[in-house]
Amino acid sequence: MGIEPILFYSFATVLLVSASAVITVRNPVRAALFLVLTFFASAALWLLLEAEFLAVALVLVYVGAVMVLFLFVVMMLDINLARLREGFIKFLPVGLLIAVVMVAVLVLVVGPEQFGLAKFAEPARHNADYSNSRELGLILYTVYVYPFEIAAVILLVAIVAAIALTLRHRPTTKYQNSTEQIAVQRNQRLRIVEMPSEERK
Amino acid sequence: MPLIFTQLQLALPEIVLLGSTCLVLIVDLFVSERSRGITYILAQMALLAVFITLLATSVGKTSDAFSHTFVRDALGDTLKLFVALSCSVVFLYAKNYLKTRDIPFGEFYVLGLFGVLGMMILISAASLLTVYLGLELLSLSMYAMVALQRDSVTASESAMKYFVLGAIASGMLLYGMSMIYGMTGSLELATINTKVLEHQHDIVMMFGLVFVLVGIAFKFGAVPFHMWVPDVYQGSATAVTLYIGTAPKIAAFAMLIRLLVDGLLGLQSEWRDIVIVIAIASMAIGNVVAIAQSNIKRMLAYSTISHVGFLMLGVLAGTPEGFASAMFYTLVYTLTALGSFGMVILMSGYGFEAEHLDSFKGLNQRSPWFAFIMLILMFSMAGVPPFLGFFAKFMVLKSVVAIDLVWLAALAVVFSIVGAFYYLRIVKLMYFDTAQDSHSLEISTDMRLLMSVNGLLVLLLGLKPDWILDLCIRVFPLA
Amino acid sequence: MANEIALSHYLILGAILFGLSIAGIFINRKNVIILLMAIELMLLAVNMNFIAFARYLGDSAGQVFVFFILTVAAAESAIGLAILVVLFRNKRTINVDDLNQMKG
Repeated sequence: MGIEPILFYSFATVLLVSASAVITVRNPVRAALFLVLTFFASAALWLLLEAEFLAVALVLVYVGAVMVLFLFVVMMLDINLARLREGFIKFLPVGLLIAVVMVAVLVLVVGPEQFGLAKFAEPARHNADYSNSRELGLILYTVYVYPFEIAAVILLVAIVAAIALTLRHRPTTKYQNSTEQIAVQRNQRLRIVEMPSEERK
Repeated sequence: MPLIFTQLQLALPEIVLLGSTCLVLIVDLFVSERSRGITYILAQMALLAVFITLLATSVGKTSDAFSHTFVRDALGDTLKLFVALSCSVVFLYAKNYLKTRDIPFGEFYVLGLFGVLGMMILISAASLLTVYLGLELLSLSMYAMVALQRDSVTASESAMKYFVLGAIASGMLLYGMSMIYGMTGSLELATINTKVLEHQHDIVMMFGLVFVLVGIAFKFGAVPFHMWVPDVYQGSATAVTLYIGTAPKIAAFAMLIRLLVDGLLGLQSEWRDIVIVIAIASMAIGNVVAIAQSNIKRMLAYSTISHVGFLMLGVLAGTPEGFASAMFYTLVYTLTALGSFGMVILMSGYGFEAEHLDSFKGLNQRSPWFAFIMLILMFSMAGVPPFLGFFAKFMVLKSVVAIDLVWLAALAVVFSIVGAFYYLRIVKLMYFDTAQDSHSLEISTDMRLLMSVNGLLVLLLGLKPDWILDLCIRVFPLA
Repeated sequence: MANEIALSHYLILGAILFGLSIAGIFINRKNVIILLMAIELMLLAVNMNFIAFARYLGDSAGQVFVFFILTVAAAESAIGLAILVVLFRNKRTINVDDLNQMKG
C-alpha cells in the first residue's frame, strides 16, 4: 500500500471523529476547538487533492480568524451550559436516525458506482514546479474578476453590519482623553485671582 | 471576448449603484443626527441613477460579459427596473417610521442599497458562482436589517431564526450546486443547460436538482421551507418587513428562472412534479393558516406563502406564456404588497404599531380615503375582478390549463376562494366596525401622495393590464 | 484496500460530513452557537465536494468556487455572531427554547 491511502484514511478518520465531537461535546469551547481540528484534517486532505492554496487559506482564514471569533464570542457571553444541553438525549435518536438515512442515501448516490475509478481515473500528479497559487491567481483576477469584486462587497457589508449591530454609542459614559490631559495648560486648570487683603478687625 | 470597456458598460448600472452606495455610506458618517434626511435623499438619488443608467445602457439583445458570469438581457433589465422602483417606494414609506423609532437611520438605507445590488447581481447571474454570491449579498444585508432594531427582543429573535435557517438553506443549495458542477464540469448556466441533456435520468443530477430546489423554496418562503416567513415578518420593524416582503420576491423569481430555466430546463419533466407539490402545499398552508391570525403582519406573511404557491403554478407550466404569467404575478404581488405593508406603516403612529387587526377597525370613519385604498389592495390580493390581482391569477390559471392540468387549476381556485375570506375580513373591520381609536391619522404629504398612487395603480392597471403583461410576454421569447 | 483513492472516496467523506452537520443541527437545536458550528461543517462538506471534483475533472473552477465560499462563510459568521451578541444582550440567553416571542 502506498503512502497516499494511508494518509487519506488517517486524516479522514481524524476528520470524522472530530466532526462528531463538534456536535456532541457539552462545552462550546471544546466544540470550537474540535472544529479547529476538523479544519486541520480537511486542510491535509486538500493538500492530497493538490489544492495547496485553499488548504493554507483554510488554516489561515478559518482557524486563524473565524474560529478565534467563535471562541471570542463563546467566552464573552456568559452561557448557562447545563440548560443548553437539556433535550440533548431527547433529540439524539431522531438526529442520528436522520443522519444515518441521509448518509446512506447520499453514499448510494455518490458511491463507487457513479464516481469510481472506472469513470473518473485518478489524474496524474503535477510536477514539483507546479504552483497552485499561481494557477488560481491567474484566473481569479481575469476570468473571475466580477465574482471577485462581489466578494469584496460582501465583506464590506459584513463590516458595516457587524459594526452597526454591536457598536453602542453611550453619550453618558465618561472616559479619559489622555492627549487632552497631557496637553492641558496651567491657565486652564488654575486661575489666580488677586484680591485685596482684608483688614483685621 | 468583447473589449473590457464594452463589458464594463454592460455592468454600468451595478457599478453606478456600488459607487453611490459607498458614497451614501461615507456621507452618512459625517452628517449630524438632525440632518439625517440627506442620507435618505442620497439613497433615493442612487436608485434614480440606477434607473437612468439601466434605460440608457439598455441594448435590447442578450449579451454576456466577464467570461460568462454576467448576462444582460431584456428579462434582467425589466426586473431590475422594477426592483429599483419598488425599493424607492420602500425607502419613502420607511422614512418617517424610522425617524420616530430607535433604528439606525443611515444603516437601514446603506444595507438596503447593498441588498438592491445583491438583487441586481442575482438577476444578471449567468453562472452558479454569481447566483450564489448575489444571493448571499442580498441575504446578509437582510439578516442585518432585521437585527438593526437592536433593543427589540422580537427583532433579534427573528433575525437569529432567519439567519440560522437561511444559512442552512444556503448550505443545501451549495451541496446541490456541487453535484451539478461535478456532473457537468461547468459553473456556467448555459453550458450546464447543454450538458444536462446527457444526464437526464442520472440519479446524481436528480439529487443536485432536489437540493437546489430546497434553496429556491427557502428564499421564496414556499412550504415546507416557510417557517421563517411569519416570524421574520412579525418580528422585524415594519419598515424592514416592507423591504423583505417586496423587491426580494422579484429577485427570488429571477433566481428561479436563472437556475431552473437557463440552467436546468433539460430536467423540466423532473422538476415539474416537485414544483407542483410545493405549489399545492404553499397555497393550502398559506391560505388556511392565515385565517387564524390576529396580527396583520403575520397574516400578510401567510398570504405571501400562498401567493408564492400561485406564482409557482405559472413556472411549472414550463411554457413561455407560463413564465410570463409567473413574472406578471410576481410584479403584481410586489405592487400590492408595497401598498399593504405601506398601510401598516401609515397606520402606525409615534410609538404605536398598528400590528393588530383591530387597529383597522372603523378606518372608514377615521379616513375614508385610505380605507378605500386598503379596500382596493385587499380586493386585489383576494383576486376580485376587475382589480389587478384578478388578472394575475387569471393568466397563471390560463397557462396551467394550457398544459392540461385542469385539476390543478381547479384546486388553485378553491384555495383562493378560501383565501378571500381573510382579506374580506379586513374590509369588514374597516367599514362595519366602530373605531377603537378616534384620532385622525397623521400622515406626511409625500406618503399620502405615494400611497394614493400605489392604491390607484392597482385599480387602474387592473382596468388595463395589457401594458405590464406585454412587457412580461416580450422578455420570454417563444422558444 | 485499493492502492488508489477514487473520487468516490472524497465524495463519500463529504456526504458523511454533510450528514453529521444535519444531525448536529437536529441534536443541538437548542444551542445557537453549536448550530452555527454545524453550519460551518456543512460548508466544509460542500468545499470537500468542490475540491474533489475540481481535481478529478482537471478544472480549476471548482477551486475558485471554494475560494468564494470561504470568503462568504467568513462574512456570514461575522454577521451571525453579531446577531448572536445582540440577542444575548436582549435576552441574556442563547437557548432556542427561550426564543418564544412569536407563535402561530
